[in-house]
Amino acid sequence: MSWIIGALLFWAAMWLLNVQLSKRPQTRALSLLVPLIFGVTLLVLWEGMVRGFQISPILLPPPSAISVRFANSLPILWVDFVQTFVKGAMSGYIIGCGSAFLMAIAVNRSPFLQRGLLPVGNFVAALPIVGMAPILVMWFGFDWQSKAAVVVVMVFFPMLVNTVEGLKASDHMQRDLMQTYGASYWQGLMKLSLPAAMPFIFNGLKICSTLALIGAIVAEFFGSPIKGMGFRISTEVGRLSLDMVWAEITVAALAGSAFYGVVALIEKRVTFWHPSQRG
Amino acid sequence: MNRLLTTALAGVLALGTSVAHAADDVSLQLKWVTQAQFAGYYVALDKGFYSDEDLNVTIKPGGPDIAPAQVIAGGGADVVLDWMPSALASREKGLDLVNIAQPFKTSGMMLTCRKDAGISSPADFAGKTLGVWFFGNEYPFLSWMNKLGLKTDGSDGGVTVLKQGFNVDPILQGQAACVSTMTYNEYWQIIDAGLTADDLVVFKYEDQGVATLEDGMYVLGENLKDAAFKDKMVRFVRASMKGWKWAEANPDEAAGIVLDNDASGAQTEEHQKRMMREISKLTSGSNGALDPADFQRTVDSLMSGGSDPVITKQPVGAWTHEISDAALN
Amino acid sequence: MRSFAPVLTVVGAIMVIWYGAAVALNSSWAYDKAKRADVTLSFSEMVADTMAQKKPLLPAPHQVVAEIYKTTVLKKITSKRSLIWHGWVTLSATLLGFAMGTGFGILLAVGIVHSRAMDMSVMPWVITSQTIPILAVAPMIIVVLNAVGISGLLPKAFISMYLSFFPVVVGMVKGLRSPDAMQMDQMRTWSATQSTMLWKLRLPSSMPYLFPSLKIAMAASLVGAIVGELPTGAVAGLGARLLAGSYYGQTIQIWSALISAAVLAATLVALIGLIQNITLKRMGMLR
Repeated sequence: MSWIIGALLFWAAMWLLNVQLSKRPQTRALSLLVPLIFGVTLLVLWEGMVRGFQISPILLPPPSAISVRFANSLPILWVDFVQTFVKGAMSGYIIGCGSAFLMAIAVNRSPFLQRGLLPVGNFVAALPIVGMAPILVMWFGFDWQSKAAVVVVMVFFPMLVNTVEGLKASDHMQRDLMQTYGASYWQGLMKLSLPAAMPFIFNGLKICSTLALIGAIVAEFFGSPIKGMGFRISTEVGRLSLDMVWAEITVAALAGSAFYGVVALIEKRVTFWHPSQRG
Repeated sequence: MNRLLTTALAGVLALGTSVAHAADDVSLQLKWVTQAQFAGYYVALDKGFYSDEDLNVTIKPGGPDIAPAQVIAGGGADVVLDWMPSALASREKGLDLVNIAQPFKTSGMMLTCRKDAGISSPADFAGKTLGVWFFGNEYPFLSWMNKLGLKTDGSDGGVTVLKQGFNVDPILQGQAACVSTMTYNEYWQIIDAGLTADDLVVFKYEDQGVATLEDGMYVLGENLKDAAFKDKMVRFVRASMKGWKWAEANPDEAAGIVLDNDASGAQTEEHQKRMMREISKLTSGSNGALDPADFQRTVDSLMSGGSDPVITKQPVGAWTHEISDAALN
Repeated sequence: MRSFAPVLTVVGAIMVIWYGAAVALNSSWAYDKAKRADVTLSFSEMVADTMAQKKPLLPAPHQVVAEIYKTTVLKKITSKRSLIWHGWVTLSATLLGFAMGTGFGILLAVGIVHSRAMDMSVMPWVITSQTIPILAVAPMIIVVLNAVGISGLLPKAFISMYLSFFPVVVGMVKGLRSPDAMQMDQMRTWSATQSTMLWKLRLPSSMPYLFPSLKIAMAASLVGAIVGELPTGAVAGLGARLLAGSYYGQTIQIWSALISAAVLAATLVALIGLIQNITLKRMGMLR
């Protein structure tokens, strides 16, 4: 009981601290400190609940056990990370987002394609990827290629929808202005439509960045070589090594956040003009 | 606050007892999806063997990502079906699983290989790709490979291990030379897919001397200290074994009962009937009581694994005859 | 109706490619079988074989259509072999999860836009939450939730919610902040309160951002429900059909479940699109 009360008190105290901190003038250090405090609070709460309610480590291990496991199995985690994230998720992300982007531009250029391909594209891309996974594993073999293929299918739809939506974002007056300048289609695209679409495109890129890793991990459930994050998770659940499962989840969370952070950073540079970035 | 909690708890408890008055609830977690592999339990449910014993049994189907041991640890089931290697490995993780009955006498696990991949004996495995199930089902394979002296970590002179999904595609498409199969299920999927018995070589774990016990009934050790729970289990085992013997005697009807209980609607009659007949070959040798010699053979096989044995020390108290003796004599 | 001809053209092209791919992918099995039976296949025999295999690598469209017809029209809706029944099971979890996710997402976005403390501390973790491969741990979640007594529809809906709130938060935070400084200043000169600003300016201007997010959330929610059905032991739902189909190598069954899931997703997304058009038109935002 004391564990639970202690954790709850800690949580309340830290929240007050955060509210105070966030009222101060913005500095770089502060904008890192505040989420960090919140994260630590969550971990303390978790540890407190697990100990307080005496939850079996087979159901939910405490963060302390997970971090010990994490530190002890770095080589395995690294091998899995390379297999799943670098080979599977990244290559799929680049191919998937790239082709969706090109497709969106193609659709934007041709009214015929827009009317014909978009509904069909919506339909095909709305295939739930989980179902595609066993089929793609069947087609592309067991190694990372099939995982990349799953990621491609998974990120295509969000990216396409966002880019198409974004390319329509420039308003009538702006487009009319371009026309009075006698701008060609490509000039209009490069100088007006694409820049105006950037907030939407980055919205898509950010959503895809989290989807990519998930896709690669799930695809490993349907057959894989004996390395990879998805393989490790499903195997270790079966062996009841839940601390190892959570160590892999930690890697996934770290990698995913870093990936997202990089995309967000680029977005800040590219769309500095958008109201949402001016704060 | 405390008082409030106690009153609320008392209310819940009172409610609980009034409901449980009719028949004793028992929930059973299967190791895999609804199929003839579990015919005995479905027969006992359908033919009223459980209600004859005043039991209200809920059968929960399993699946590829359900670890029965985790379910029972979370209180999601009273009894789970599991393979002994994974149950013993869970024991070493600190989960007190106890075998109370063993309806399966013989192992149905095999490695099925294509002849055209150049395999005619275990000596040919080196350098080949072998499909294996993981999720706690890899232990028998690992200890066999250990016995053969083949490395499974991908180093030279060993075998390449592939985590096969839950079907036999890798062998059909030539991605693996061998895949894991059960005599009653996956083997026939290969045959159904168009390969013939002449195209294949099978290695039964039973013949290779590395057989381990499959599909035993396990409960938590702490529950066995409770007399009421023990009594429930005695009745459960008795009714289940009655169901198994009935299923062995009437395989086609048993398969029909299984099909009626399959909510996914994906099973075919032909496959289930065939599975039921293969299953009865495995269960016919057992009256439900665990044979200590079989247990010891399983343990020896699991502990023999050179550098990386599945279990490290002789398990103590991993099985009991208390329940099966009371149920069957 | 202008789009009828283009759509038909594209669908026609896809059918041609599909049949071609079916022949290409299934031919190796046909040849393999023929070789073992010591017969040689002519081209037309090979094509005929690829169209009618029991477990093809890629079933031909007409096989899938036949299977869907068989399992929707010819079966009673209440039958466990009816795809409509399985679709309904999945749909109910999807909609519940979607509703929960959208509600939660909008609330969170409103909180983030209004409270600096929340923006700074919660937002990074919202993003991190999505990098946790919930699909990979879905079985575990269901087991753990079962342990605390939550079972049935809710665990599946919970996974759907977890996946669907994220696009809504991201879209809505962006949308609620989309009014530019001039508009905000205008509101302030009218001494509008925070809540008036929210209702009269922020929420209306967020609509163009909300709808694309909702479309993604709906698709994600369906994925969540399907994945949630995999570990419940192939009991019911499209996910269970996929699993069972995959388990028994019944590719035709996998594809028919997939196509039904896609039809479901497309219908739901189209529905949101319809609402989007009506709403934006009435708000004068549609150009």
